[in-house]
Amino acid sequence: MTEREAFLDSLATAAKRPRHQLQDHPFKPLNDLPDTTLADLSADDLFALAEKSSEAVHVDFQTTTKAALPQALDAFLAAKAAKTPMLPTSTAFADFGLTTWRDQLTPQPSFWVPNAGREANIDTASHADAAIGFADYLLAESGTITVATTPGQGRAFHFLPTHYLAVIKKSHILSRSRQAMYRYEKAFADGSLKTSNINFITGPSNSGDIEMVLIVGVHGPLDMTYLVVEDM
Amino acid sequence: MPIKTSDHPFLTRLAESEADPFMQAAVAKAQDAQWDKRTAARQDLGNWAQWRELAEQIRQHVVRYLPDYLEEFADNVEARGGHVFFAKTDDEAANYIKQIAIDKGAQHVVKSKSMVTTEIDLDKKLLEIPGMSVLESDLAEFILEEDDFDEPTHIVFPTLHKNRDQIRTIFHDKLGYDGDNDPQHLARFARKYLRASFLQADLGVTGCNFAIADSGLINLVTNEGNADLVMAIPKTQVVVMGMERLVPSLKEAEVLDQMLSRSAVGQKLTSYATFAGRQVDGESDGPEDFYVVIVDNGRSNALGGDFEAVLQCIRCGACLNVCPVYRHIGGHGYGSIYPGPIGAVLSPVLRGYQEFGDLPFASSLCGACSETCPVKIPLHKLLIKHREVMENQLHMDHSFNNVLMKGIGVATGTPAMFRMAMGVDHTMFGPLSKKAPISTENFINNGGFVKNAPSLAKGWTDVRDLPRPPKHTENFRAWFKKHQSENKHA
Repeated sequence: MTEREAFLDSLATAAKRPRHQLQDHPFKPLNDLPDTTLADLSADDLFALAEKSSEAVHVDFQTTTKAALPQALDAFLAAKAAKTPMLPTSTAFADFGLTTWRDQLTPQPSFWVPNAGREANIDTASHADAAIGFADYLLAESGTITVATTPGQGRAFHFLPTHYLAVIKKSHILSRSRQAMYRYEKAFADGSLKTSNINFITGPSNSGDIEMVLIVGVHGPLDMTYLVVEDM
Repeated sequence: MPIKTSDHPFLTRLAESEADPFMQAAVAKAQDAQWDKRTAARQDLGNWAQWRELAEQIRQHVVRYLPDYLEEFADNVEARGGHVFFAKTDDEAANYIKQIAIDKGAQHVVKSKSMVTTEIDLDKKLLEIPGMSVLESDLAEFILEEDDFDEPTHIVFPTLHKNRDQIRTIFHDKLGYDGDNDPQHLARFARKYLRASFLQADLGVTGCNFAIADSGLINLVTNEGNADLVMAIPKTQVVVMGMERLVPSLKEAEVLDQMLSRSAVGQKLTSYATFAGRQVDGESDGPEDFYVVIVDNGRSNALGGDFEAVLQCIRCGACLNVCPVYRHIGGHGYGSIYPGPIGAVLSPVLRGYQEFGDLPFASSLCGACSETCPVKIPLHKLLIKHREVMENQLHMDHSFNNVLMKGIGVATGTPAMFRMAMGVDHTMFGPLSKKAPISTENFINNGGFVKNAPSLAKGWTDVRDLPRPPKHTENFRAWFKKHQSENKHA
């Protein structure tokens, strides 16, 4: 008997319940609150709630249009006095009409490069004073962006740079985390998402560990900006 | 540091806690602040009672089918290229992780906050390796580590007992900090120090809030972001989890993350909720080698028995934040890394009554803990059950208590005897009572207070005065009778 089998058998014995019963007794939730809570909000309601929730968690919540997106990003980098900006490697630049902006950006940005390796990407991110990333969804209830790790936008991309901005389509504002989970589970199931990591990020890092005083910016970015593209 | 944090007797620990007014004030302040935040976050969600029922159902289902869920989770971790180790004891777990560190040639371990790693005394085990450095990256745990591994006092706010001046002194003496005591400045200093350590880490150790059975991912919920750096930078990650911390799928993890965040810190979601596993092809950070260590270490003592409900716990600490006993004695009074009502139930389950038999009595049985628990653990009932089971298990002589309780039962259940007692209690308490003016502490004044009661009542008067009972003409029954009579004639 393997060590695992012995361990699991010992639990079944202690519990006085046989193993391998789950298939006949799958989990069935006793209510549908995760699905129905905030389910009746319109797109405009969701947007308003997202703005309120984001600002409550110390996020600089901004809006723009697809046409004005390059100017909005320039303004962000100028406001942060960014000298070493970092960008992901992503097809989203074309989707958002940002290819030219990316190629002509000054100061010249560094990138999270799929084949550059762990040390190079982490080193670049740790020296970046601002990062601009693309979020999958924005959750209205909590002011949370969600991002799945990709080869071009790694885990540390969201944590090491000093300032951080996430670009989100207005049409990707969801009511709650349950709706995001449905989309990620579907993407895992149909093979369209292959990732080792999904981050739900709600504002900048913070801590109350010293006398319960709120400190914003502990390990992750010191501040967080959400830029919602209203016509996408 | 194993589960037991002090060799001092229970009463000595209580006296030590009572002699620490800063700790008591800090705990009271934290409890009051968390009360407001927690209540607001739950009200904002709406239908709290139904959410609790759902959360309880998820946890009960997992515990009921625990071996099946563990099997499913382990299969999925391995399908993702990870490794799973099942540890019956703390030693097995710590030795396995030490061997990983040796095999990988690790010299710089960085950890994120994890009660289970404290439970298995992992830091001490890793530091047996020559040249090894182990760094706690959660700000509070980092402060405790730098303060010569001081004990945590709370499962969510481990440094509640320390003030900014003490923390400044620790940073100054151990790390050369020469700034002021402003929390923001202290945190910035720690950020800079820890960032440098993160970048040279070769082994990351995390806990696990929930393990997702159907995907083999783990879920971590934090506010600082340190856990995400632990999962991003080192090439190897070891996850240490209590064996009961599973959920069926991402959907149930999402429900429990909400319940945890609202109950622990009064937030809708914490700053970071992450679902992660071994690096997949094409990604350049995240762990190339991913190990999950699933720890029993006494948890199976609860399976199938009176205390099974304690395995529902999601470690939010809400029960600590409402407990009147915790408010007075703080975390150190319990002598366990798991303090408060949940610790008073869990510690004896993990280690038995010889070590933790005092803790079920560290309760007023007010039931506030059960009332606030987001997964509906009947904590105060489990504390009563502990007392009963312990008396039998340790063959304690409870004949006196039996006689006493039986006598009280007869006296209160026999109207004539009860009336007789009400008629003489004021007079009988007279010689023991001391006259004192009414104060905010002693508001009920029926002609004095007992400050030093004998025998069984001494425990009461050691910490609070006992009001002298009212005269039989002025007690509640007399008032009620008079009130009824007046109403009838009005």
